[in-house]
Amino acid sequence: MKSVIYFIGLLFLTVEKGLLPWLKTHLLACPIKQHLGIDCPGCGFQRSVLALFEGDLLNSFKLYPPTMPLIALFLLTMVHLKFDLKHGAFFIKIVYIGISLIIIINYFYKIFTHQLS
Amino acid sequence: MSEDQQTPQENAPELVSSTPQHSGFNYGIQQSLPNATPVLVLGILSIVMCCCYGVIGLILAIVALILSRKDRAMYAAHMSFYTESSYKNLNAGRVCAIIGLVLNILLIVIMIIFVAIFGLAALNDPEEMRRVLESYQ
Repeated sequence: MKSVIYFIGLLFLTVEKGLLPWLKTHLLACPIKQHLGIDCPGCGFQRSVLALFEGDLLNSFKLYPPTMPLIALFLLTMVHLKFDLKHGAFFIKIVYIGISLIIIINYFYKIFTHQLS
Repeated sequence: MSEDQQTPQENAPELVSSTPQHSGFNYGIQQSLPNATPVLVLGILSIVMCCCYGVIGLILAIVALILSRKDRAMYAAHMSFYTESSYKNLNAGRVCAIIGLVLNILLIVIMIIFVAIFGLAALNDPEEMRRVLESYQ
């Protein structure tokens, strides 16, 4: 619990020079993008998460639409594993199928609107 | 899948009657399946990693499927030993792992198709790519 508070403090207290600017300059490069030069279905996730940390929901959605559902799925899974909700497993399945559909639709949308490079 | 879940219930009464000899110490106390939580977590992580690498997600999904297969056999053998909620978790994780597996394979197939159509040189070089695209028109 203490570490979570420290982590949130790190994110919010050190906006000028701290975790967020460091993360911005240390994004992991996608190997598929490096070797093939085109996006994979997950490209944009890190930028999107960083935009979400900054509070820019719209930009986060534009960069990678499934980010917010994915984080919601993580939170739901944590709560379900901790408190053992009655229909938790069912909701996890539904959210997961929705996320996979969003990823597929997003990727084909990118292909047909020529945003892949 | 629903058939798989229902078939063990027909044999359940015999198993329940024979449980005291098997368990001894924890009769009446149900425990959760040992791999239910890992399977759920691995299944969910497989879709995130599919976005990142492709290969890692594939490995995670396959590991989750193998673990879930083992636990499903254990649950079918001794239904009264294990809690139903952990079995639900296990099934959710299994569904997640299957979807993750399909997505990862789809990603790899799409990448192979791209390479087959355009070629590695064209994908790395925008000028070359333009030339290839113009040659198709």
